[in-house]
Amino acid sequence: MQINLDSRGDVSVFGVSGDIDINSSPEMKKGFEKVFREKQEKVLIDLTDVGYVDSSGLATIVEIFKNMKIYGGKLRLAGLSDKVKGLFEITKLDQLFEIFPDADSAIQSF
Amino acid sequence: MSEREVVVEVNDLVKKFGDRTVLSGVNLKIYRGEICVIMGGSGCGKSTLLRHMIGNIKPTSGSVKLLGTDITDLYGPDLDELRKKIGMSFQSSALFDSMTVGENVSLPLKEHTRLEKSVIEIMLKMKLELVGLRGFEDLTPSELSGGMKKRVGLARAIAMDPEIIFYDEPTAGLDPIVASVIDKLIIDLGKKLQVTSVVVTHDMKSVMAIADRIVMLYEGKVLETGTPAEIQSSKNEMVQQFIKGDYDGPIKFFQQKDDYLETLTQ
Repeated sequence: MQINLDSRGDVSVFGVSGDIDINSSPEMKKGFEKVFREKQEKVLIDLTDVGYVDSSGLATIVEIFKNMKIYGGKLRLAGLSDKVKGLFEITKLDQLFEIFPDADSAIQSF
Repeated sequence: MSEREVVVEVNDLVKKFGDRTVLSGVNLKIYRGEICVIMGGSGCGKSTLLRHMIGNIKPTSGSVKLLGTDITDLYGPDLDELRKKIGMSFQSSALFDSMTVGENVSLPLKEHTRLEKSVIEIMLKMKLELVGLRGFEDLTPSELSGGMKKRVGLARAIAMDPEIIFYDEPTAGLDPIVASVIDKLIIDLGKKLQVTSVVVTHDMKSVMAIADRIVMLYEGKVLETGTPAEIQSSKNEMVQQFIKGDYDGPIKFFQQKDDYLETLTQ
């Protein structure tokens, strides 16, 4: 798994590629520590290049959401493949997150 | 579309316990994503077959491949590593009585991963939601009914997102309604999480409800394989006797009377 950080205006865009699983989830969480430290308000996780998210990956994204919620930050998700979207639906997390088809529409929504 | 991927492959499996032959040449393939039910009467060797598939016991001859790896002679850390990719739901639920539901379910995650406690807590809630037991984290197994214990066992079996879940008699000892709940859960977990399920049972109602494919074992061999519809319309008298639960038929429960009288007078 790799994370590419990009800024689009005042939105921090985390482009993740590869699988988010039990091995890579802890690393993903670390990648967001700066967000919490700086209390970044607008964050997008772009999952376009993610093939699979296991339950540790889903839980890690929830944990990021929880940490941002404490200071009123907004987290949005974009680019979920049908398979990944299915995993969010099974666990009802599609009702927790604001999910957009692609990064552009997500950025415009902030 | 490419050929279906085989996730478990059993070749010419023979298992003897002393003089008694329990499995006498089983050949079987299980494919990714299917719910495969292994059925047969008590003592036909189905649980022994299951234990071979997870490497718990070793065959007298023949081989077993699990997720592409030959586990016939695999022991120790190599086998443990492979086992992280499978989940096992035991007949007895096998929960630790001294631990809470939450501790039981999250145990594999604490033991085998370096995930943070806060992430494990979220995963625990997700797993318990899947088996309909969210909110029961702090109870101990002694405070739960048999059906609830089975569901906790299932939640623990799926803790590590296994590729294959093995179920040993998941509905044994449960009332019909709870048994149906467990059946639905097996179907849901299989379809929703796209995992392969291998279920050993002799509960015919459960077999017909959940199976994509049925493997019927008899006297340590595969008697017949097919979809529920194929098995139900099988011409094999033994299969018919088993699925109807008939007392009379080619499968004999009691030894012949002559043998009995002979042994009395020997």
